[in-house]
Amino acid sequence: MASRKESGSGPTTVMASTGGTLDSPVKQIQIEGLVVLKIIKHYQEEGQGSEVVQGVLLGLVVDDRLEITNCFPFPQHTEDDADFDEVQYQMEMMRSLRHVNIDHLHVGWYQSTYYGSFVSRALLDSQFSYQHAIEESVVLIYDPIKTAQGSLSLKAYRLTPKLMEICKEKDFTPEGLKKANIGFEHMFEEVPIVIRNSHLINALMWDLEDKSTVADKHELLNLSSSNHLEKSLQLLMDRVDDMSQEIVKYNTYSRNLSKQQQQKHQYLQRRQQENAQRQSRGEPPLPEEDITKMFKPPQPPPRMDTLLIAGQINNYCQNVKEFTSQNLGKLFMAEALQEHN
Amino acid sequence: MSRFFATGSDSESEESSSADEITPKAPGTTFKQSLLLSDDEEDTKRVVRSAKDKRFEELTNLIKTIRNAMKIRDMAKCLEEFEQLCRAFLKSKNIVDKEGVPPFYIRLLADLEDYLNQLWEDKEGKKKMNKNNAKALSTLRQKIRKYNRDYETEIAAYKENPQESADEEEEKEPGDSGSSSDSDDEGGDEGVTAKSFLKKKPEPTPEASKFLKTAKGSGDESSSSEDDDDEDWSSDSVHSGSESSDEGDEKTSSLAVVFLKKTLDTEKSEKRLGKKRKPKKKERLEEEAEEEGGEEVEGGWEKVKGGAPLVKEKPKMFAKGTEINIPVVVKKLNEILQARGKKGTDRAAQIELLHALAAIANENNLGQGIMVKIKFNIIASLYDYNPNLAAFMKPDMWKKCLDCIDELLDILFDNNNIFIGENIAEDSESLAISDQPFRVRGCILTLVERMDEEFTKIMQNTDPHSQEYVDNLKDEGRVCGIIDRLLDYLETKGSTEEICRIYLRRIMHTYYKFDYKAHRRSLGLQGETKSEQDQEESEGEDSAVIMDRLCKFIYAKDRTDRIRTCAILCHIYHHALHSRWYQARDLMLMSHLQDNIQHADPPVQILYNRTMVQLGICAFRQGMIKDAHNALLDIQSSGRAKELLGQGLLMRNMQERNAEQEKIEKRRQVPFHMHINLELLECVYLVSAMLLEIPYMAAHEFDARRRMISKQFHHQLRVGERQPLLGPPESMREHVVAASKAMKMGDWRTCHSFIINEKMNSKVWDLFPETQRVREMLVRKIQEESLRTYLFTYSSVYDSISMETLSEMFELEIATVHSIISKMIINEELMASLDQPTQTVVMHRTEPTSLQNMALQLAEKLGSLVENNERVFDLKQGVYGGYFNRDQKGGYQQKQSYQRVQTILAATS
Repeated sequence: MASRKESGSGPTTVMASTGGTLDSPVKQIQIEGLVVLKIIKHYQEEGQGSEVVQGVLLGLVVDDRLEITNCFPFPQHTEDDADFDEVQYQMEMMRSLRHVNIDHLHVGWYQSTYYGSFVSRALLDSQFSYQHAIEESVVLIYDPIKTAQGSLSLKAYRLTPKLMEICKEKDFTPEGLKKANIGFEHMFEEVPIVIRNSHLINALMWDLEDKSTVADKHELLNLSSSNHLEKSLQLLMDRVDDMSQEIVKYNTYSRNLSKQQQQKHQYLQRRQQENAQRQSRGEPPLPEEDITKMFKPPQPPPRMDTLLIAGQINNYCQNVKEFTSQNLGKLFMAEALQEHN
Repeated sequence: MSRFFATGSDSESEESSSADEITPKAPGTTFKQSLLLSDDEEDTKRVVRSAKDKRFEELTNLIKTIRNAMKIRDMAKCLEEFEQLCRAFLKSKNIVDKEGVPPFYIRLLADLEDYLNQLWEDKEGKKKMNKNNAKALSTLRQKIRKYNRDYETEIAAYKENPQESADEEEEKEPGDSGSSSDSDDEGGDEGVTAKSFLKKKPEPTPEASKFLKTAKGSGDESSSSEDDDDEDWSSDSVHSGSESSDEGDEKTSSLAVVFLKKTLDTEKSEKRLGKKRKPKKKERLEEEAEEEGGEEVEGGWEKVKGGAPLVKEKPKMFAKGTEINIPVVVKKLNEILQARGKKGTDRAAQIELLHALAAIANENNLGQGIMVKIKFNIIASLYDYNPNLAAFMKPDMWKKCLDCIDELLDILFDNNNIFIGENIAEDSESLAISDQPFRVRGCILTLVERMDEEFTKIMQNTDPHSQEYVDNLKDEGRVCGIIDRLLDYLETKGSTEEICRIYLRRIMHTYYKFDYKAHRRSLGLQGETKSEQDQEESEGEDSAVIMDRLCKFIYAKDRTDRIRTCAILCHIYHHALHSRWYQARDLMLMSHLQDNIQHADPPVQILYNRTMVQLGICAFRQGMIKDAHNALLDIQSSGRAKELLGQGLLMRNMQERNAEQEKIEKRRQVPFHMHINLELLECVYLVSAMLLEIPYMAAHEFDARRRMISKQFHHQLRVGERQPLLGPPESMREHVVAASKAMKMGDWRTCHSFIINEKMNSKVWDLFPETQRVREMLVRKIQEESLRTYLFTYSSVYDSISMETLSEMFELEIATVHSIISKMIINEELMASLDQPTQTVVMHRTEPTSLQNMALQLAEKLGSLVENNERVFDLKQGVYGGYFNRDQKGGYQQKQSYQRVQTILAATS
């Protein structure tokens, strides 16, 4: 993923000049209907189960609005073509698209997700490299499962400036994170999305909506919930397990640290006492030794993973909450209907 | 080379070498010197001499083969042998340095070179030669040329005087052929050689005659002087003092010949080889005359058998006219036995000699005492026939042994007044026919035990799928017969220990056999249809009764732990085999063998494993699935059932063990006819595991901490799942896996058809003695367990279910269904209640759904997470000490996490 950084280096300068404030260069994202359809189609054709599909978003920045006007998919990674050159592929695709007069500016990437599990190290790293190279770039997360339930789920995320700072410094120690005062809530910021279609398309849509039968919207009213919830819970449990492990790791670290601190303290005290004695006897004090050499502090565990896991857990919980609240509504509705009949 | 032979030639070579060392002095003096050599002197020199002699022997042998090869123009062979010869010569360098290059060696070199040159010239012949030979010829020619350069002078000397050596060679030839063909016509040979000696040296030396005179002196003296001779000649005093005087005469004459020859030898010191051969031959003749059992026995034995000489030989065993009485025979016996265990003793001949002796003893009516003694020794010699304990006896050898034991037992039974025992000392034996009972040293029990072991070994080493195995197995009856007879005998005469031992033998031959007679009888009693044949058959004692009697005796009387342990195990095995489950189990539990069997030796452990397996199979037949599973678990879970039961070695371990270990392990193997069918064992285990595991799995579907009952069964299931294509089951395992899958769905009919069908019948179920009963039991178990599984799996679907429906579904009586469901309710496996009037089961629906289960699990995990988190806070207390109260915090967190779960639960319900 990091290799993609270079690909964006060209347009960056162009866009940096057009871009808005440093704080939040993008306030809104406008997606062409075409892009949405392309993403959905890509997943439908290539992704199955928990596999994810990825692709590149193309567009341009207008004031504080990011317009995504086109996209193209990445080919699925297979083991046979290990020497597949992604950069080359991207460059060629963009060049070709330019030939047919399509926006060819790199503005981010998209990825599908499985039950909302996307907060991972890989995503963080690649989004960081994107955002580092192209300040306005976003990652679109498409949730096919939710979409299948009746409502399109497409979300745009950007790393917060704080997280960008941390990633730039690569300081993931507990102290670093504490100093940056960052929590899992402040890792990503969601950018509102507007889907824009041409008027012609809108007209067509209205036309279609009139014609479509109720049966097409049945998915929305599906009352069964246990399957979805079970899956979510399963994933949630796995994350919780990971979290527990991380905490245990951190726990041991801090215990070791405090133990060492104590030892260090004792040592210094003894040294001081001795020196005091020596002074009283008129002897020269003992030479200062490098204490840091004697007490090497234990390696602090990187806390980034913990943060990410927490973010993911939060994500799951939001999902479950959303889902259950919807379902509860549906259930009440069904009950009311039952009574009515 | 036999020891006797070696020593014989030793003493001879001593003579020759001493002669050599002192070199051509007057023949008389040398002779005297050699004669006067004291024993001590001889001892000190012996090593050197024997070494030299051995080397020269080797050389001459090689030379002989070379000459033969030369005769047939086999150059390849010639080359090979020549290379060996060079090596051998190099080895004997020490001796050669001392003694000088032996002339026979030089002679060969010279002859060979001549021969090769001749061949080389002969272009025609060379063309005819095949490639190999031609090649060998050229190499050999080059070699010998190079080699002969070192011996040029010697060869030249030889070539000057080839006549002499040729003459010598002639002389040598008959000797060679004689020795190689083990002298069938020894007598004639003797004559020739003797004559040739006489020719060469007609007048006996005065010393020799003097010696003869002394030898002739008196009977006693002669024997003593003979002994002296012996020391001179062979040092091995196998010579018996029992030689009668006329034999002495014969001997002395031969001795004279020997001496004559020796004088001649010393005279011709150069003819070392011939000399060496001849005295050796003399000695052999002498031995033969004595009919001593040494290495020459082969020759002697041929004579014994050889028709006409038989009569002539008899006096050689016992000189003609000797009164054959007990002491004489005993002495003879001891003589024969002395050769026993010695290297180079021809064991077959020894056995034959003993037989002959037995025949003589019988002829002369020396009484049963001596017969018994000889028989003992014959059997012992038969066992000795195989020098290696690991190797097994030849079946025919073993059968001979059986015959002997039978005869011995006949004698013992016929004559009540024979006492035998290991503790009877050799000198306190009384073999003479008198009023007193015979006392003979020897232990018949040991012999029979050994015989039995040999039987096992034979069975181990026979291919179990051959007719030979069946033939050998037929002898088992005889073995049992002998053991039975011995048992009868020892019951009257033996000590308790001996009785215990023989009882154990008897048990060992009984425990693994299914008593069809008793089985049939027990059936017959019920059916009241007894044919005449049945009646006849049921005459004998039930094996159960026998086992009981024997084992109980051992339990009471045995003092060695091992015999008792074995007896208990066999008893249990026997019980289990005959489906007496409770007796078997109780005995196993009472014996506490399970606790300390790991201290026992491997064969007992194997027996224990066999017993446990049999016990498990028995439990299965009785429908005690759980017991069956438990009994088989240890054996099956290791995956080494084959090894643990001593029914074969695992290939996997081949590299881990060396040949020695493998041999030991092989010796532990149980003979094929005692094997427990491994497929049956595995099938019983898997089916029991299935009957236990499937309902259990259904009951604990959502339990995170569910434990597997049987790892192996799960393994099989997983293997089944991994199959990309699932065809109809082929092997036994596939059948069980398929049946398990059907059972999981509560489909007992499919399960039944997978477990009991023709294939499985022929593979497994028909191996049980009561096939039909086992199958019925199995069907019933499948029905019951399927019902349980069905209820576990689908209870959440039902609000209530009628027992009648269930009974129809599973073809069980309502009462059974009722009892099963009641049991499940009582054990809190099924949350339901029975509604008596309508005969229905009303579900309570208190079991959490899978989602609820998950939520509970999540809550648990969150709880532990919170706990961990709090620990972090504990550590930080120093920093955040006063920030907020920890308890409150914990409580808050806990509450929150549970609240979340609660919302989830609320959402789902």
